[in-house]
Amino acid sequence: MRSFLGVVTFLFAAVASAVSTKGNRLLVLLDDVAEKDGYAKFLGDLTARGYQIVYDTPRSEQLSLFELGERQYDHLLFLPTKVKGLGPKLTPNILIDFVNAEGNILVAQSSTHSASTSIGNFLAELDITLPAGRTGLVVDHFNYDTITASEKHDVLVLDAPEPVRDGVKSFFSPSADAVLALPNTVGHTLGAGHLLTPVLRAPSTAYSYNPKEQFDAVDADDLFAAGKQLSLVSVFQARNSARVTVLGSAEMIQDSWIEAKVSRPNGSKVTVANREFAKALTGWTFQELGVLRVNEVEHHLTGDNETNPGIYRVKTDVTYGISISEYAWDSWKPYNLPENDAIQLEFSMLSPFHRLDLSPVSVTKDATVFGTSFILPDQHGIFNFRVNYKRPFLSVVDEKHTVSVRHIAHDEWPRSFVISGAWPWISGIGATVTGFVAFCAVWVYSKPTPKAGKAKKTQ
Amino acid sequence: MAVATQGASSGINSQNTRTLLRVSILFLIAAAAVASRLFSVIRFESIIHEFDPWFNFRATKYLVANGFYKFWDWFDDRTWHPLGRVTGGTLYPGLMVTSGVIYHALRALTVPVDIRNICVLLAPAFSGLTAYAAYLLTNEMTTSSSAGLLAAAFMGITPGYISRSVAGSYDNEAIAIFLLVFTFYLWIKALKLGSMLWGALCALFYGYMVASWGGYAFITCLLPLHAFVLIGMGRFSNRLYVSYTTWYALGTIASMQIPFVGFLPVKTSEHMPALGIFGLVQLVGLLQYVRSSMSAKQFQTFVITVLVGAVGIGLAGLVGLTSLGYIAPWSGRFYSLWDTGYAKIHIPIIASVSEHQPTAWPAFFFDLNMLIWLFPAGVYLLFQDLRDEHVFVVVYALFGSYFAGVMVRLMLTLTPIVCVSAAIAASQILDTYLSAKKPNLEEVTDAGATDAKPAKKSGLRVSSKPNVGIFTFVSKALVVGGMVVYLLMFVSHCTWVTSNAYSSPSVVLASRMPDGSQHIIDDYREAYQWLRQNTKEDAKIMSWWDYGYQIGGMADRPTLVDNNTWNNTHIATVGKAMSSSEEVSYPIMRQHEVDYVLVVFGGLLGYSGDDINKFLWMVRIAEGIWPEEVKERNFFTSRGEYRVDAEATDTMKNSLMYKMSYYNYHSLFPAGQTVDRVRGARLPDQGPVLNTIEEAYTTENWIIRIYKVKDLDNVGRDLAAAASFDRGQKKKASKKKGPRVLRVD
Repeated sequence: MRSFLGVVTFLFAAVASAVSTKGNRLLVLLDDVAEKDGYAKFLGDLTARGYQIVYDTPRSEQLSLFELGERQYDHLLFLPTKVKGLGPKLTPNILIDFVNAEGNILVAQSSTHSASTSIGNFLAELDITLPAGRTGLVVDHFNYDTITASEKHDVLVLDAPEPVRDGVKSFFSPSADAVLALPNTVGHTLGAGHLLTPVLRAPSTAYSYNPKEQFDAVDADDLFAAGKQLSLVSVFQARNSARVTVLGSAEMIQDSWIEAKVSRPNGSKVTVANREFAKALTGWTFQELGVLRVNEVEHHLTGDNETNPGIYRVKTDVTYGISISEYAWDSWKPYNLPENDAIQLEFSMLSPFHRLDLSPVSVTKDATVFGTSFILPDQHGIFNFRVNYKRPFLSVVDEKHTVSVRHIAHDEWPRSFVISGAWPWISGIGATVTGFVAFCAVWVYSKPTPKAGKAKKTQ
Repeated sequence: MAVATQGASSGINSQNTRTLLRVSILFLIAAAAVASRLFSVIRFESIIHEFDPWFNFRATKYLVANGFYKFWDWFDDRTWHPLGRVTGGTLYPGLMVTSGVIYHALRALTVPVDIRNICVLLAPAFSGLTAYAAYLLTNEMTTSSSAGLLAAAFMGITPGYISRSVAGSYDNEAIAIFLLVFTFYLWIKALKLGSMLWGALCALFYGYMVASWGGYAFITCLLPLHAFVLIGMGRFSNRLYVSYTTWYALGTIASMQIPFVGFLPVKTSEHMPALGIFGLVQLVGLLQYVRSSMSAKQFQTFVITVLVGAVGIGLAGLVGLTSLGYIAPWSGRFYSLWDTGYAKIHIPIIASVSEHQPTAWPAFFFDLNMLIWLFPAGVYLLFQDLRDEHVFVVVYALFGSYFAGVMVRLMLTLTPIVCVSAAIAASQILDTYLSAKKPNLEEVTDAGATDAKPAKKSGLRVSSKPNVGIFTFVSKALVVGGMVVYLLMFVSHCTWVTSNAYSSPSVVLASRMPDGSQHIIDDYREAYQWLRQNTKEDAKIMSWWDYGYQIGGMADRPTLVDNNTWNNTHIATVGKAMSSSEEVSYPIMRQHEVDYVLVVFGGLLGYSGDDINKFLWMVRIAEGIWPEEVKERNFFTSRGEYRVDAEATDTMKNSLMYKMSYYNYHSLFPAGQTVDRVRGARLPDQGPVLNTIEEAYTTENWIIRIYKVKDLDNVGRDLAAAASFDRGQKKKASKKKGPRVLRVD
C-alpha cells in the first residue's frame, strides 16, 4: 500500500510539476549529504518548482549517471567538494557523455574548496579555464561588502548582469537596480567559442589570485585573469541544447547569503537579489527558460494547397512558415524576437541563394509563425530550406528541410505563337508551306511543254 | 558453316530451297550469336554488368514505372548531389525506350516478364539483328552468296563486338552497333538506287542511332567523307545528290529531336563536315546543271569564281562563327583522337578512363583473331572493281582502323567493317577453290590470251600466266582444308575469349579455389546491400566516380559524382577531399552533406583495381582545379616512387584515401607482417588514425570499406581534439605559451 501510494504521489508530482522541459530528476553531489542543510532555501525553491532531488556523494557505490545506456538523471548539480578526484563514476568522459545525452549540469565552486580534477578537465573540454591549481579567489578593492569583508575584500557586491550585447534576451536580471553578493568567488576565463556566454563578469577592478601561494603580491606574469576577462558566472550550451553553467561562488546560494544585506563602500545597506538570480540561473540551466520549440515547418507554392512538396520548379513563388514556441517556467508561449534580432531563412545549395528575414505572420496562444515568400532561384538542384537560429541563452533552432528544384519541363515553356519574337519565323514557315502547295498546284495543273529540248539534252 | 553452305548450294539448285537454306542458316547464326553471349548468365546469374549499364537499368526502370513524358522531364535528385542531373535531357534515350517498348509489347501479349531480364538479354538479342544487318551490307558489296553469310557469322561471334554485348552488358552499344551497320546498309542501298525512299529510311535509322549512342558522330562524319571522296574521284551523280541530300536534311532534323543533341548539329565543329558536304553537293549539282547550258570557256571562269567564292565564304563564316562562339570548337574528347597525349595533359578525367587509352597491338588479334589479316585482303579485293559502295568500305576501313588504334573502345566501330571485308576475302577463297568445275587446259590458255590485257591492267604478273595448277584436287583440298581449320580455330578462339575475358560481370568477381572449384567474391553487392539496409533513405555517399552508378543502382542512395562525368569541378572536389588531409576534407564533406564515404581496397585480396591504384588520377584531376592545394609531386617520394609503405610521403600518409584504405589493416596481421598484396608493400605496424570519420562497415574480403562522417562535436571542440579526448588523452593544461587570448563579446 505504501509503495502504491508512493507511486501515485510520484506520478502526481511528475504530472503536476513537470516544470522543466527535460524532466525533473535532479542529482545533487556534495561531500556529505548533511551539507545540504546549508542550502535549504535554495534547494527548497527547487523542490517547490517540482524537482525530484537525489543527494549523493561522489564516493557513493551506487552512484551511476547511466543505467543500461540511458540517462538516470536529467540534471546534475555539483556543490563544492573537498575530494581531489571524483572517482570512476564521474570521469570527464562520463560528464561529456552526460552532456551529449542532453543532460544539464550546474557546477558551483568556492574558493574554499579547490575544484576536483574531473570537473577541471571537463570544463577544459568546454574551453572554460580555471585558475592554476583549480582554485583562486576574486577580490575587488572597489566593489566589496563593507559589512563582512572590509578587510579581505573577498565578498563582491555587483549589479545584476546586463545582457552581453544588443538583441540578446536577458534572463538573469531580477530587476534594474538589483544587487548580487558573491563571497569566496572562483573566477574562470572563457575561450572564444560561440557556445560559451558569460553571464556575470568581474568588474574591471577585480582580479584573481591564489591566497595560499600569492598572499604577498601577484606577479604580472602569474596573474590568472583580471577585469572583464574574468568571468564569475558563465553558461555553456552544447549543440544539442544541453546546458552547463559554472557558478563561481557557491556561498551566494547558501542560506547565509541568499538574502543577506550588504553594503558597498560609500553605499547604503541593501538586500541582495541572490535568490532571484539563483532561480533564474537554475531555471535556465535546467531548461525552464529560453527553450525554443519548432512546432511545424510549412512551405508550399504560393497559392497552392499542397504543403511541403518534395519538388519545386525553378522560378516559382514559394511561401515558407515556421512556428516557434518559447518555454517560460511552466508553459509554452509564442516566441517574440528581441529588439534588433531576426530569424533568417536560408535557401541554399552549397551556399545560400537567398537569405531572408522572417517576419511574424500570425500569433496563436502558444506559438508564433514566422514566414516569408520568395521566388526560387533559376538553378536546379537539391536545396535546403534552413533556419539556423543560434543565440546566446536560447536553445538551438536548426531546421533543415530538403527539397529538389527541378528544371522547366518540356511542356512548361510558352508556346511559340505566344512569343512575339517568333512571329517572323512562324510566318516564314507559313509562307514556305503556302508557296510549296501553290507550286505543286501550278505544276500539277500545267500542261506539259512540248519536248523541244530533248535533242539538246542527249548531247 | 560457310563450308556447309557451299557444299549444299552446289548440289541444290532450286531457288526456293536456297532461300530456305539461307533463312535457316541466318537463324542459326543469330542463335549462335545469342548463345555465345549467355556465358555470363549461366556462369553467374542474370545480373547487370559493369558500371554504365547500372545507370541505363535504373533509367529504364524509371521509364517503365513513370511513362515516357515523366522520363523525358526527369530531374534526378539522387545523383550529383547537390546539383542534381536533368537526366531526361542529358541521356541518349534510345536504349531505354527500346527496352520499354519491348516490355510493354510483351505485357500486351500477356507475357509476364521482368524488366531486368529484358535489359540483360537486350544486347544478345540485338546481336542477332546485327548479324543480319552485316549480311545485308555484305550482299550489297558482292554478288557472292556466301560472303554475306560469312559476314553474318563473323559479326555474330567476333569478340570485338561481344566485348560490348554479352548478356547483362546493358549499354548503349548494345543496340547502337546494329543501328550503325543497318544505317550503313541503307545508305549504300540509297546511294546505289539514288532513291529518296531509301535515303529517308537511312535518315530514320540514323535518327534512331542518334537517340541511342554518342558514337553517331561516326556516321555523321563517315557518310559526308564518303560523298566527298566520290566527288573528288569525279563520281558525282544524281544518285549521290538525291541520297545525300535526303539523308542530310531528314537525318539532321531527326537528330535535333533528341533533347540531348538539340542544336548541336548546327553548332558544333564535329557536325560541320556534314553541313559542308551538303553545301558542296548543292554546288556541284549546280555546276553540273550550269555546264549543260554554258560554253566551256565561260564555264571554267564560272567554276573558279563560284568555287573560290563559296569555299572562301564558307571557311570565313566557319572561322568567324567559331571565334564568336556560335559554333563550339572541337571538344577535348575529339582532340584526344588526334593526339593521344592530349587528354593526359589537358583533361585528366578523359585519360583516366581505361577504355580511352590507346589500343595495344595484341588487342587486335585478341578481339579479331584471323579477321585482322583477312581484312586487308578483303579491302584489296574491293579495289579490284571499285564501285561507289566499295569506296565506302575503303574509307570506312581506313578511318575505323585509325580510330581503333587510338582508343580501345573504338575497336567496336572497326569490327563491322572488318567482318564485312574479311567475309569477302574468305568467300573469295572458298568460292574459287570449292568450285567443282575444272576448265580444260586449252580453254584456259585461250582465255589467258584474251584476258591478257585486263590482267596486265591489274598489274600482277602472276595473273597473266595460265593458272592451271590451282585446279588440281590437291591444291583445292589444301586451301579449303586450311581455310576450314582457320575457321574452326576462329570459332574456338571466339568462344574462349568470350568465356574467359568478356563474361565477367565485374560486380561479382570469380576466383579459383585450390581444388579448381569456382569461388565467388561478392564484396561489392555485400557493401551495396549494407548501404541499402542500414543507412537512411537519403544518406549521401561519397566515392570515386567509378562507383557512382552502381551505388545509385544497387544501393539506391544518392551519390556525389558518378560515371556520367559531365562536371569536372565536382569530380575534382571529390578528388580533393580524397587526396587532402582530414582537416581539409572534413569541411568539404560537411558542405556537401556527405554521410558515408566508400573506398575500394584490394590490398588484402590482391585486387588491383582499387582506389589506391586510381589515386593518382584523383590527385591529378584535383590538381587541375586547385593547383595550389593539391600537388601530384607531393605523393611521390624524393626518388620519384609511388609508395604506400613506411617510406610513403607525409602528404600520402595524411591523405584521407590512404587513411581510409589502411585504417586498422595492421590488426589483421601479426606484428611486422602487415603486407599489401597489390603493391607488394610491407606496411608499418602503426596504422593511420582517423578523427573526422569512423569505420562503419568493411566487407568480407576488405574490398569495400565504408566510413561514416562524424557530426560536429557536440561541445564545440574540433574533432581531432574530441577524438584524442575519447582516447583518454588529457588536454594540455599549460597554455602559457604565446600571448593571452582575450575573449571579445
